[in-house]
Amino acid sequence: MALNKMIPIEEAVARVESGMTLALGGFLGQGVPLTLIRALKARPVHDLVIWSNDGGYGDDGVVELVKAGMVRELHCCHIGYTPAVGRAVEAGDLELEWVPQGNLIEMLRCGGAGLGGFLTPVGVGTAVEEGHQKVTVNGRTYLWERAVRADVAFVRAHAGDIVGNLCFRGTARNYNTTVATCADYVIAEVEHAYSAGELDPEKVHAPGVFVDAVVRADVSYCGVRR
Amino acid sequence: MTPDCRCNIAARAARELEDGQVTNLGAGIPMLVANYIPAGIDVVIQAENGITGVGPVSPPGTEDPDRRNAGNLFVTLLPGGCYFDTATSFAMIRGGRVAATMLGTLQVDGDGNIANYEMPGRKIGMGGAMDLVAGARTVYVLTEHCAKDGSAKLVARCTLPLTGAGECDVIITERALFRRRPEGGFALEEVACGHTLEEIAACTEMTYTVADEVKLDAY
Repeated sequence: MALNKMIPIEEAVARVESGMTLALGGFLGQGVPLTLIRALKARPVHDLVIWSNDGGYGDDGVVELVKAGMVRELHCCHIGYTPAVGRAVEAGDLELEWVPQGNLIEMLRCGGAGLGGFLTPVGVGTAVEEGHQKVTVNGRTYLWERAVRADVAFVRAHAGDIVGNLCFRGTARNYNTTVATCADYVIAEVEHAYSAGELDPEKVHAPGVFVDAVVRADVSYCGVRR
Repeated sequence: MTPDCRCNIAARAARELEDGQVTNLGAGIPMLVANYIPAGIDVVIQAENGITGVGPVSPPGTEDPDRRNAGNLFVTLLPGGCYFDTATSFAMIRGGRVAATMLGTLQVDGDGNIANYEMPGRKIGMGGAMDLVAGARTVYVLTEHCAKDGSAKLVARCTLPLTGAGECDVIITERALFRRRPEGGFALEEVACGHTLEEIAACTEMTYTVADEVKLDAY
């Protein structure tokens, strides 16, 4: 008998508490778990530490949590499309760490994979170097970058089954497969929900073993659906 | 900076691309390069959000929210193109599979330093640019020669936070093309139509030499 991970969204986001570290899938407006982000806004939590590609796109995404005063730190690589996030940083209301995109995904990948960190050539000679140990391998300089693990992760998938196997579509895959591995409690919002056995096992991008809860995505977000 | 100038930069940059190259085009002027790739040259355009074989922007009515480029624009997928996750995308970039990256900048200097993600009062973010300049074999900076207020963008020394230290190989503006010499330092190789060597010298703070075979009215 398959374990049914489909639960009401309120129950899923109740796992998020103040001060927790939250990892988010999505890239600008692509594959962003907006249903979960909006459900979280109804929770009385604050001082969140967020790991995400960006601050959102326009009025959507992380920027909504920032405007609601729920975020203490944001670790990301781009806030160019969300001026409100930049203003929060300038005002001292939000702590920002710039993390180059490839380093960011690898930090989350290592966190999910039980690794302690990695050596990266990216950021050598820039402000990213600060606080990083340098290591030389075969004559090339690398920064020793840390692994990151979150308390809770939100991802968005095109299709998912009740045991948490996930399939993504197009460029909405982006961070989602990796973010699905990097937290103690992983919640997936799915545009289409299936029973166990209905998804082609060859087409699963994220195995259900990584996923703790599955909720229905609001398909009105991210544009018109097929 | 008129649209013509931007297109002029993009058209010149497109002539740098070689058949079969995997290329990443950043937001702004670099994305226009896709419109000028010469006939007979097949270039695989990679976008770091997780797509290769990026085609032209989607015609109205055919936009797919799950098929976009790294600037969040709706795009088409050319035959042979595919999708992948971000970790795979950056394995491609750092692993040396991306031959050329073209990106805009706020400042660039004669040591090949690039600063394009933050200025006082405006935080943008480096996105994948730090990874791209470190990983791509050839790094092209495509930029207006001067900022909107007339100040130099090709500066003596970058004062803004660096995206990459010593990573720039070629600078293409609406007025001139500079290429880094193997021994270091940039050489002015081409001057665009309507501009002179004296004029380039007057609006360029960056140290450079003039190539022996500098081409005038080159593009």
